[in-house]
Amino acid sequence: MKPFAYTAPSSVDAVVEALRVAQPGTKILAGGTTLYDLMKLGVEAPSAVIDVHRLPELTGISVTDSELVLGAGVRMADVSDHPVIRPSYTALAESIWRAASQQLRNMATLGGNLLQRTRCGYFRDADMPCNKRNPGSGCAAMEGVDRPHALLGASSLCSATYAGDFAIALLAFDAVVDVVGPRGERSIPLAELHVEPGEDPRREHVLDVDELIVRIRVPLTEAGRGSTYLKIRDRESYAFALASAAVGLVIDGAGIVTESRIALGGVATRPWRAVEAEQSLLGQPLTAAAARRAGEIAFAAARPGRTNEFRIELGIRTVADAVRTAGERAVR
Amino acid sequence: MRVDAYDKVTGKALYGADRVLPGMAFAALALAKIGRGRVSGVDTSAALAVPGVLLVETKFDLASPGFLMGGGFGFQSLQPMTDDHIAYRGQPIAIVVAETPVAATEAAEAITAEYEEEPFALHLDSEGATTLVQEEAIPLPFLADIKVGDADAVIDSCAVRIEETFEHPPQHAVPMELNGGVVWWQDDRLIVHEGTQNANAVRFGLAQQLGIDAELIEVHSPYVGGGFGQKNSLLVHIGPLAVVSRRLGRPVKLVLARTQTFHNGSFRPATKHRIRLGADATGRILAAVHEVDQQTSRHDLFIAGHTEVTSRLYGFSAFRGRQRLVQTDVQTPGYMRAPFESPSMFAFEQAVDELAHTVGRDPVQLRLDNDTETDPVTGLPFSSRHVGDCLRRGAELFGWSGRNPEPGSMRAEDGSLVGWGVAIGNYPGSIVAANATLTASADGRVTVAVDGHEMGQGIRSTVALLVARDLGIPVADVTVQVGDTTVGTQHLTAGSWGTATALPAVHSGLQELRKHLNVADTGDVDVASAVADAGHAVQVSVGSLGPGQTADALAQTNTGHLAISGPVFPGFVTFSWIAHFVEVHVEPTTCRIRVPRVVSVADCGRVASPVTAASQVRGGVIWGIGAALREESMVDDRVGGFLNTTLEEYPVMVNADVHRIDVDFIDKPDYQFNPVGVKGLGEVSMVGAAAAVANAVHHATGRRHHRLPIRIEHVL
Repeated sequence: MKPFAYTAPSSVDAVVEALRVAQPGTKILAGGTTLYDLMKLGVEAPSAVIDVHRLPELTGISVTDSELVLGAGVRMADVSDHPVIRPSYTALAESIWRAASQQLRNMATLGGNLLQRTRCGYFRDADMPCNKRNPGSGCAAMEGVDRPHALLGASSLCSATYAGDFAIALLAFDAVVDVVGPRGERSIPLAELHVEPGEDPRREHVLDVDELIVRIRVPLTEAGRGSTYLKIRDRESYAFALASAAVGLVIDGAGIVTESRIALGGVATRPWRAVEAEQSLLGQPLTAAAARRAGEIAFAAARPGRTNEFRIELGIRTVADAVRTAGERAVR
Repeated sequence: MRVDAYDKVTGKALYGADRVLPGMAFAALALAKIGRGRVSGVDTSAALAVPGVLLVETKFDLASPGFLMGGGFGFQSLQPMTDDHIAYRGQPIAIVVAETPVAATEAAEAITAEYEEEPFALHLDSEGATTLVQEEAIPLPFLADIKVGDADAVIDSCAVRIEETFEHPPQHAVPMELNGGVVWWQDDRLIVHEGTQNANAVRFGLAQQLGIDAELIEVHSPYVGGGFGQKNSLLVHIGPLAVVSRRLGRPVKLVLARTQTFHNGSFRPATKHRIRLGADATGRILAAVHEVDQQTSRHDLFIAGHTEVTSRLYGFSAFRGRQRLVQTDVQTPGYMRAPFESPSMFAFEQAVDELAHTVGRDPVQLRLDNDTETDPVTGLPFSSRHVGDCLRRGAELFGWSGRNPEPGSMRAEDGSLVGWGVAIGNYPGSIVAANATLTASADGRVTVAVDGHEMGQGIRSTVALLVARDLGIPVADVTVQVGDTTVGTQHLTAGSWGTATALPAVHSGLQELRKHLNVADTGDVDVASAVADAGHAVQVSVGSLGPGQTADALAQTNTGHLAISGPVFPGFVTFSWIAHFVEVHVEPTTCRIRVPRVVSVADCGRVASPVTAASQVRGGVIWGIGAALREESMVDDRVGGFLNTTLEEYPVMVNADVHRIDVDFIDKPDYQFNPVGVKGLGEVSMVGAAAAVANAVHHATGRRHHRLPIRIEHVL
């Protein structure tokens, strides 16, 4: 373990102040399920950590007339069983309880989960070349074991998959994150939070180093009831997605799709909204053929690596299945 | 009934590395980062600068422990850190000892090395891999090609021929308990507390490595948190620990990181199986050929024992088995639960399934039609073989008669393709030479020290139950000591001989004890009053042997070596048998394969402990499903070693993958094998399970899979 400074400010204001004066290499610590892990692997070596996991201001789940408000410090385990979230935002609850393991969900926070780092095995092995961890060193995955790597949003430098589940469901519901920092508070649509690797794979999101996520807001939508998060993986628990899809639908009394939301997980370098696929479903009855077509549109731009081409077809079928399940729930 | 269940679930049971001693220091290993070559320099300066570091060592004066299967004591003959040779990625190049495990780990990570790299080979078909014919490389009778009749000629003349090649990937056991232990000296006496299945080899191997008398070494392995063969011998970290502990004059603990256990312990080697079957039009198998290529290391020949089981599976009139060893740049592979039998059966029982499909016979009936009472290899009778009963009872419990034989014909309510598959399995019956000491005390309690190790299978429960039933005393009045070289020799516990070895030894000890207590040969005993009559505590020690073994075998185990008998004994041959019936569901669109139910019926002789026996079978079946659908140790040809070295990336089964598994036993004693009538169970449980899953996938989808694991991409 490399020595690091540790502070645990007692309020969000104090955290902001600590961030304002922080030395380079400072990291925010919440549940610790990613940061500690990566520190043990030698991938992260913060000079200081600011512990926010006991801050009462970051906890709490509330429902207003227009939105669901989730504190950034809420534990993942507290979301999956929430009496309002389960029926009204089914995909959100499902995305959480299909993530990680119960032990990890008991510790991990929502804010931390949004910024979870990739599970690329080469990124996590400090001995391997990796443009994300060590810019300019190359990408070991390009000619290596790339079965879990991204089909969408990769660059010539990096194809590491965004591994989280929760953000996929949030993206489908047009969630917004509120962040604070020394320059005040701002809101970032989830769709703009994460970035593709492009020319700088180190950069994974648009937060400044001195900013803290304080809450997540999810607009109320009828599509929350008619939603699902389908996650396909190598085993039924404690595994990341080979392909996943969050789908929310609203279907009117005549059986016509009037609202459509589709986001993809496990297949892209960031949470991936499939806008054209959504639009393909609008204004018509939901059929098996339409669901399949939505999947095909969602993966039209997919670019496979050496060993993961099967995940395009798997992803298409995952979207199609999720669309059908959401459709059944929407008309119930 | 499990006598140590409470201790285990409350944390009272002390596993190897749980030992905490005053003044204990902590060690960590630095590992080689090349696939093969030489280390030309190790820079330890940064490690030494870490606060709390006591010592960094890169070179040890340690003799080779010898390879377990070559008459030695080690999981491999190569002892790292004795010269500059790097045989595989992940080989230790330095050991650090510090005041805390955190400091030791940080220092180990700070060690850098210069290397001269050499090309390396990791696969059976890699350039640079060297292939040897086993019977030429190791001219021992039990490793020779098996030749019964002219199998090739018979097959060529057969009306029906099946020829298939199957590949099985390397796998790792990944037991929950990490490799590691605590080592300390009391004056000139070396004490090792380590989770091992072979305290005997640890003791005598250390004596050889350190050049000291084994009398000065004691090894304690009270509980093993899963061994599965990876802890069957002296591992490479213990010798260096003994040296640094002596130098520091302090106890030293080392627990390997999970990632390190993938290179510092054995694994199941990659194999390739070529199967040829010749049959008549009714599916009666007239001859079979089984040719195997198995991975080994450059420095040791890990023997292949695949054809030993397949040649006994059915009543072949002709059989040819050939095994070749392929030398690659890895640590020496070894025994992982059902080491040869599970991969062999995956191959052979799929070929048999293909035969049933080809001739249009029901796969259960075809297997029954090919049953035999006589060992095709030796011509001797099997001491017991109830695999036909396993098949019949399993078929009934499973509801096999409702199976539509047409692949792809059955559907679940959700539209999933349903497949029903069957496979049988066998495992050689072995008994090893063993010692037992029984002590009856004035308070009526009986203490039994017997050769064996508790690695989750429940040996304490099985022994306690035998003693309690024999003497008519409560189980709570029996204390069982295992895994401790101060009370016994502690021969390797593996090969499913644990129960069939310990129980006959204790049985023999009980007869002796009754004589010394001056009580009847049978019936309940008032131990307290018998001891009072004797006037003192009564202790007896016995040695027991496998059928046909001579006293030489006891001398072997008493000097740390293996003393194994079987499966061919004077006048008979012994195997355990099992039949697995598996239902798989293949989801209609995303094609996830699930296993909603399994029925397994085993012939393990008499069932010594019903609760632990059923649990053993479930564990074996679960692992078989994992082998069929999930597990594979992956390599990156550019860097060497194994790649997916965590529980996240190496996908062992999780509870959510496990559904209904019904277990039943034939429960017919085999008194020819031993006087208690028990045969082995732990490993046969797994044999054929992966094959049954693969056969069920074929029935569901119509596709035969020639390589494991069968993943989504293979059925999509």
